[in-house]
Amino acid sequence: MAAAAPQPTASAAPFDPAPAPRRPRRSLARRLPVEGLSLLAGSLLWEIAGRTMDLPWLPPLSMILADLVTLLGQESVRANILASLQALVIGFAISLVFGLVVGALMGRFLSVEAALDIYVNALLVAPTIILIPVFFAIFGLGDGTRLSVVVVYAVFVIIINTMTAIKTVDPAMVEMARAFGASEAFIIRKVMIPASMPLVMAGVRLGLGRAVKGMITGEMLVTFVGLGALAARFGSQFDMSKVFAVSLIVLILAAVTNWVAQLVDDRLTRWAD
Amino acid sequence: MTDVTAASTETQPPAPWPDDASLAAASHGGPMIELRGVSKEFLGDRSSTTTTHALDNISLTVNEHEFITVIGPSGCGKTTLLRIVAGLIPYDSGQVLVKGKPVTGPGPDRAVVFQSFALLPWATVLENVAFGLETRGIPRAEREEQARVLIKTVGLAGFESRLPRHLSGGMQQRVGLARALAVNPDILLMDEPFGAIDEQTRRIMQEELLRIWGYRRKTVLFVTHSMEEAVLLADRVILMSPRPGRVHEIIDVPLPRPRGRETERTREFTDIKELLWDKLRVMQTV
Repeated sequence: MAAAAPQPTASAAPFDPAPAPRRPRRSLARRLPVEGLSLLAGSLLWEIAGRTMDLPWLPPLSMILADLVTLLGQESVRANILASLQALVIGFAISLVFGLVVGALMGRFLSVEAALDIYVNALLVAPTIILIPVFFAIFGLGDGTRLSVVVVYAVFVIIINTMTAIKTVDPAMVEMARAFGASEAFIIRKVMIPASMPLVMAGVRLGLGRAVKGMITGEMLVTFVGLGALAARFGSQFDMSKVFAVSLIVLILAAVTNWVAQLVDDRLTRWAD
Repeated sequence: MTDVTAASTETQPPAPWPDDASLAAASHGGPMIELRGVSKEFLGDRSSTTTTHALDNISLTVNEHEFITVIGPSGCGKTTLLRIVAGLIPYDSGQVLVKGKPVTGPGPDRAVVFQSFALLPWATVLENVAFGLETRGIPRAEREEQARVLIKTVGLAGFESRLPRHLSGGMQQRVGLARALAVNPDILLMDEPFGAIDEQTRRIMQEELLRIWGYRRKTVLFVTHSMEEAVLLADRVILMSPRPGRVHEIIDVPLPRPRGRETERTREFTDIKELLWDKLRVMQTV
């Protein structure tokens, strides 16, 4: 009877490992055709509109690009770009350290969360721009003001995402680690941190975008250095072509930083998507 | 009955199987787990003053190499019981002893297999199986070597570098089982391990567990809500009654081993299952 029936469980290796399913990589090359075409179409449209309509606020793209090249050729412009970049990097680094630490504490300890939650949420949604005069009063025209604005723009979204990440770590995984006798430090290092990485990195990337905005805002409104100062100056001269050229520089800067963040994110959270 | 037993022996994998004498000797080892009058209450929400009486005066002895299944209506505290033995939650009164020592927390003599598998999604099969050893500070080379042996044992050879999400539920629980076995515990605590797995796979997993248990005779405490599973696997079935959870009855399962699907077709198996069902049904209406 059953003796003749094959036993699926008899073999020690009941599964045949097929090649591991590979996640289609979010490669730039694969998106490029559509993105490239879209970019090309937009540029053409802009150029044609600029030339035919002859509006003072809509210079043709070719003129903007020519100005961009001229600007990049000037020593003072390059110095301004560097100054902006410096504020961005330092301000974002402060936001990162502060955001991760405060967020982790708020996620781990209910009392810390209860104490800080209202401030963090208020400052996340408050239009940060209204705080700039306060920073100006504290730090004057120095780097303190520029950095504060970057931090205030970037830090709260990092805090909130980190807190949420820690709070939503699957308790079953923590319990499993405890059942195997893992110490609290081991659980934090090997379970909590990796498990919270996707949400933390999402917060970091959002924070980076906001840091770029904070950098430009601070420079335009108070300190008059860097790219923001250039934009403000050309704006007051109604030199729209140069305003757009500076905007392009900022866009490129934002794209590059976002690309770096994406690389880091991909490395850390490949398992999650 | 002898015919069926013979047939089932033929179809079993060529796993080393202890002869009857050593089996008899092995299954009468000393007490491995002892519960003496254990009670547990859960406090209700902050807003309410009610408490849930999860376990009431549970007394129970599990001997070395014994396979015990725990069954009862939902809410009878069977998972609570297992978590207490695992050292994951405290108990209010009574005594819980593992190898004669009071349980104060998790320990290297016990390993848990979870219903939800509880695998680390970022870690490969190999890293997941080696996780228990990693918590114990075993160096990488050594723990991976041991993990590879267990991966082979549960039939996942070739899948070492996969991530859990690339595995089916049954395969994920094989990883969970291998992880538990890798730390070489004396006691295996299994909390409805096949409860989240589809019926066909579940049956295969039961046979796999019996096959593996055949040559790695751990003491097993296995919580389930499937009557077939409870009878098929166990030396003794603990039948619990709900709210407060009590040991209602302990039912011996003297079916010969090794057991397999053929066992389920025997009169003896059906009789015990029906007996269990009668008792459970009475409990539901009371």
